[in-house]
Amino acid sequence: MSTMPAVVAVNTFREAVRDRVLYNLIIFALMMIGGAILVGEISIGVHQMVIVNLGLSAISIFGIIMAIFIGVGLVHKEMEKRTLYSLLAKPIRRWEFLVGKFAGLLLTLLVNTALMTLGLTGALYYVSRTFQRSDVAILVAVYFILLELALITALALFFSCFSSPMLSTLYTLGIYVAGVFAPDIKGVSEYTQSPAMAAGARFVYYLLPNFHNFNVIAAAAHGETIPFTLIWHNTLYAALYVILILVAASAVFSGRNLK
Amino acid sequence: MSTHTLKLTSHLRSVALAVVAVPLLFVAIAALQARIDVLSAPVTQDKEELLLRSASLLKKLSLGYDPLLADIYWTRAVQYYGTRLQNRSGSFELLAPLLNIAATLDPKLLIVYQFGGIFLSDHPPGGAGRPDLAVELVKRGITANPNEWRLYYDLGFIYYTRLKDYQKASQAFLEGSETPAAPIWMKVMAARVAENGESLETSRFIWAELYDSTKDESVRKTALEHVQGLDAEIALKRLNQVSELYWKKFGRFPTSMQELRSAGLVQGDLKDPAGYPYAMGPHGIPQLDTHSSVKIESNQRKP
Repeated sequence: MSTMPAVVAVNTFREAVRDRVLYNLIIFALMMIGGAILVGEISIGVHQMVIVNLGLSAISIFGIIMAIFIGVGLVHKEMEKRTLYSLLAKPIRRWEFLVGKFAGLLLTLLVNTALMTLGLTGALYYVSRTFQRSDVAILVAVYFILLELALITALALFFSCFSSPMLSTLYTLGIYVAGVFAPDIKGVSEYTQSPAMAAGARFVYYLLPNFHNFNVIAAAAHGETIPFTLIWHNTLYAALYVILILVAASAVFSGRNLK
Repeated sequence: MSTHTLKLTSHLRSVALAVVAVPLLFVAIAALQARIDVLSAPVTQDKEELLLRSASLLKKLSLGYDPLLADIYWTRAVQYYGTRLQNRSGSFELLAPLLNIAATLDPKLLIVYQFGGIFLSDHPPGGAGRPDLAVELVKRGITANPNEWRLYYDLGFIYYTRLKDYQKASQAFLEGSETPAAPIWMKVMAARVAENGESLETSRFIWAELYDSTKDESVRKTALEHVQGLDAEIALKRLNQVSELYWKKFGRFPTSMQELRSAGLVQGDLKDPAGYPYAMGPHGIPQLDTHSSVKIESNQRKP
């Protein structure tokens, strides 16, 4: 098997680090420290819950911003700087380049998320002075956020294959927002009187990437157990969707005239 | 083979793969999503939260798009009510805040007051059982839309059906009848309620007017159920009087509807609005068939 995607991935990660992408961790750390101190002062009996909600939401928001804004420039930047031409002159297939770019950004997000999770764990320990068994749900929630970020990265990469960064951002953000509201789209199919509208809404519901699947922040904050079957179903869902988007991206990118 | 041909072959291969794989993957994803819906239901259940309860703050944050935001909150309120009703959870604690936000964002959105008036005041499990909040909401509507007779009707309706305050109900109907586009029957209704508030016929009149004057399907459905229930109550009340007549005539209560027919006191097969024949219960008290879907709120004569 070709090692080219791995080489591209490592370089993408290095480039992200060089671009000081991980500086967002400083803001996150400040938020967590501030939050932990403030929560102790102003909230009664829900310290842990507030910290978990704040931490997981921040991990998700920072991750989404990074995935979209870096993802949409992955291909476009290489073309603009003309580095893509010298790269494709080497024995690397276009789909390998895309997979490498995707994996590189995912690695960046993984490192970023892991460090933020450490920060959240520290803040959590500061407010509750102990860890409980139910805190495992927080790690599951972080894992789901990573799955969500993988999907967003794939979408951003797909759009960056044929569109400008500005438009790719709008497209990705649009699909993300629609995917978050997927249950409401399903709700339309259940409550509408029109069979055509119901069928249309159901079709859109199953077509859109369902980002609502990955939101278990409230359950984690309440210390609820997240079933293992849901974990692997969501993993499979994200994996299939990422493969689908990457296949489509490869088809589009392979046809692009790069002259 | 030239470089160009190689590139073309590679591109065609990618496209062919996409054409085959993308639909197949979509089918697999849809099947998986259906399974995830079932699995995630317990995890996401009862986590409905309203992060921003301050309607005035939301109005400021809407940056001038408050009518659009009002529509979104109105839709959320309807979906919230529908989902809760379907789950039979029996509590509608977010219904009032959602409706209040929608009403603040767009005070002219009349449907909010009508829907809120009916379902905030309705008894559980069909409603929140909070007529006080319903009155508050409809009064806000009247302040913002003083010429809408419909809102006075909704206010009178809550006073009449839920709070049994016939004087205030009559007053609301009367005030509504003085608005420019008020229908003539509003005055009649005010007089009937003031004169004979507790009668089943007056109740039926009010529910039937609600049924006729609204376009909202959920409100119409509730109104129809009440009209049918009241029709059944009125019929049972009459059958009860017939049963007492039978007792006076034969010195005992009838044990079946057939006995009333044989005695010539009733004619034909009397049926409730759902199409089930009325039955004779113990001590000669007529009642609904056990399979009937008609719901009545009060029982008839005690033996």
